[in-house]
Amino acid sequence: MTRKSVFRDPAQCMNCKTCIIACKLKHMFPPHNTTGAAADPKGVNLIQVYHVDPEISGDNVHQPFVSIACMHCEDAPCIKVCPSSAILKDSETHITLVDQERCIGCKACLWVCPYGAPSFNEDGKLVLCDLCIDRLREGKKTACEAACPASAIYVASPEEISELRARKAVERIAGGKME
Amino acid sequence: MGDKQFIKSVCKACHGGCGVIITVENGVVTYLEGDPESITRGTMCAKGLASIQHINHPDRLKYPFKRAGERGEGKWERVSWDEALETITGKMKELIEKHGPNAICNSQGTGRGYNRYTVRLGNSIGTGNRGIGSSHICYFPRLRAFEATFGFNRLYCDYHGWGGEYPKTQISWGKQIEYSSSDGEMAVWFFEALKHAKNLILVDPRATSIANKANLWLQIRPGTDAALALGMMNVIINENLHDREFVANWTHGFDKLKERVQEYPPAKVEEITWIPKEKIVKAARMFAIDTPGVIQTGESLDASNNSTSNGRSIMCLMAITGNVERPGSMMNWIHPACGPMAAFGFEIFDNIKPENIEKAIGSDKHRFLDYGRCHTETVLRQLREGNCDLKMLHQHGGNFLFSLANTQNVRKALLNLEFLSVADQFMSAMCEIADVVLPVAHWLEEEDLWNTHPGFCTRAVNKAIDPPGEAWTTPKIYFEIGRRVAPKFWPWNSVEEMLDYQLRKADITWKEFSKLGHLSTTGKDQKYYKHKTDYWVKGGGFPTATGKVELYSTALEKAGYDPLPSHIEPGESYYSTPEVAKEYPLLLSTGGRIPYHFHTQYTNLPWIRELQPYPLVQIHPDTAKEYGIEEGDWVWIETKRGRIRQKAKMFSGMDPRLVVVQASFCYWEKQGPERVLPSNANVLTSDDGPFDGPAGSVNMRALLCKIYKMEEGDDTQVSFS
Repeated sequence: MTRKSVFRDPAQCMNCKTCIIACKLKHMFPPHNTTGAAADPKGVNLIQVYHVDPEISGDNVHQPFVSIACMHCEDAPCIKVCPSSAILKDSETHITLVDQERCIGCKACLWVCPYGAPSFNEDGKLVLCDLCIDRLREGKKTACEAACPASAIYVASPEEISELRARKAVERIAGGKME
Repeated sequence: MGDKQFIKSVCKACHGGCGVIITVENGVVTYLEGDPESITRGTMCAKGLASIQHINHPDRLKYPFKRAGERGEGKWERVSWDEALETITGKMKELIEKHGPNAICNSQGTGRGYNRYTVRLGNSIGTGNRGIGSSHICYFPRLRAFEATFGFNRLYCDYHGWGGEYPKTQISWGKQIEYSSSDGEMAVWFFEALKHAKNLILVDPRATSIANKANLWLQIRPGTDAALALGMMNVIINENLHDREFVANWTHGFDKLKERVQEYPPAKVEEITWIPKEKIVKAARMFAIDTPGVIQTGESLDASNNSTSNGRSIMCLMAITGNVERPGSMMNWIHPACGPMAAFGFEIFDNIKPENIEKAIGSDKHRFLDYGRCHTETVLRQLREGNCDLKMLHQHGGNFLFSLANTQNVRKALLNLEFLSVADQFMSAMCEIADVVLPVAHWLEEEDLWNTHPGFCTRAVNKAIDPPGEAWTTPKIYFEIGRRVAPKFWPWNSVEEMLDYQLRKADITWKEFSKLGHLSTTGKDQKYYKHKTDYWVKGGGFPTATGKVELYSTALEKAGYDPLPSHIEPGESYYSTPEVAKEYPLLLSTGGRIPYHFHTQYTNLPWIRELQPYPLVQIHPDTAKEYGIEEGDWVWIETKRGRIRQKAKMFSGMDPRLVVVQASFCYWEKQGPERVLPSNANVLTSDDGPFDGPAGSVNMRALLCKIYKMEEGDDTQVSFS
């Protein structure tokens, strides 16, 4: 496998939150069922989708939906700051992975992450998006990308994402599809 | 990990029907994901994926129960299936004997692929009062309008390119297909087709998430859709932009329509709809010139006291632009060899005596109800007044305390039924006031046939696990009731035989079909321009009385209604009830939908509830400021009928006069009134008419309200009146 990166397109996202549930299902994160249903359950959440209040000018509506999760930074500040070396890079894909055995739950990673991506389980230990590395190894898409009805999520090498974005730019500038 | 199975099935978390692959390990569902080989190409939504928490929910109904105290007292006695079914069918037989079949009504909630069983049961009993519920405010007014216009129900958006063309102009009209793929096409097809489109026109009071992609947003005042469509036709016809070949050869009443639309010049339509006339003209030209085009419509058109005209005016717009049966336009799809599944219900329609159909309650006034149903609000009013011919309701799924207008009145009416039995997966608020409650299996636990909405694909719902306790599948429940009360029409020895019967035209058994997964007529199997062949009418045409697309509807005329579409003001508005507007100065829409809820469903699943623990009311920031309301404040929303509380969500993408409440928020963690009333949008809606003439629909999407911040301690206990 090559280096992996993720692109979440704010122009395609429609705030349906399917990616969040696909992620919880894939990892079977809490919260789990209780009799009578909890009114305000809180659990591990690796993806957050934000609705930005629309700006309207003429016929243009600018209303991006921004989803935030671990970006799998190359020079990840969380890795540098972790005192117990609990955050590592997969040598092949450069996906940021967590060794929960080593994590001491100090949350220093949360201080330095520019995206607010770290989430913590009931024991206070770090849980991060692992880009469904097991699925990628099986040749499958990540759970969030596979489920997204708007094709707003794209997991690939940075080069492939770059090409995808360039194609979009060509369509926008030239009004046609790139050969 | 020895025993790992992958089962292909159809998700029924809404009634869209996404293809799903279920992972089962040692008899437990461990994973769900979209099936990339299915027609939905591997996509699913939050609702379907959260099903794993649904099936394992500790509050699932597992056994049949009989009431042990007063109705609604919450005292239950567990009974056997035999006793439960004998009680229900015994009551049916007793009432038929005493009053005739019209004393019985069997109904349902949203159609999760089992409508045909409900319809067959009603038909086999022979009742003319075949159903109450929300069909007259959801989907069926459009179906009946299609029928009145084209002779068949209905046309679908051709997003598929099977005829070599994709829609060049798309209109999304009062619909959020990106959130709700329930009544026709799927979001994934819409997005795919959008890549090929030149124009996307959004007709919606709010800048929905697809407003970003639209090149024209018509910010319409709720409840004025027919006026907009008539205004667009005014422009198209007067500028001679209509499809002259199609109009001349295939439509009836164009001259009369031309005359009617003269009453709707763009300047007047601007006053009615609040859409600037320049935009109306622009949209009309865009849709007429950049063809082919499609119009995706939503349920808000139906929940209106002008529902028939809303639907009909949009259908006339499709027809005069020639967007019928042309590749990339509006299509009626050919079914696979098994035929439409709905036939299972309708094939025995003749069992209902004509006089019983005539006596269907409220059908004297509303002749275009959902295929011989009775009129819900009339039935409920009669029940409250104690003079109703309808004595018993058997209900499968759904919850009228949330889905019908004026919750307090609905509950009072249901309590006046002589007998109420409800089949559901949880002890819903409607179960709570029932005499008998039946536990129903989830779709992961059942075997059934699934007719994809547009009809070109019938698929197998395959069982992954056993239902909990003694819960039964939906086909089994209907089969067992049917064979007890009307054995002639339920002659099979098993549910499997009943499934075989439904597949007989394709010459395939259920077992074979279950493995095959689907029967489809996609791609080259579909034929376009069917009106130019013998498909509907020998020698060509449409299956209406005139053989043409009836812009001027002879069926409506014959029944005594206006044969042409027109604008009728919402029953409550600044213009129709200015005196109400003095006390309730804001415009209220109850059309707010959340992509991860389906009506009352799923707020009891922790993953889903975590996304949004409380209901949200959208308020424009300018209005909020005026009322001293801030983001996240609890706000009371009050109408003449009552008040509810929801949390303020600032939203600039709508008119500052508009307030949009979230519909159907159910507090599953609470009991009795606290579960139903605090935030339920239908506490606010009116069941008092005016109603749409033909379809009997009630206005639920354009009302008047006032709002105020909830003071601390003002979240008083609510009670049923």
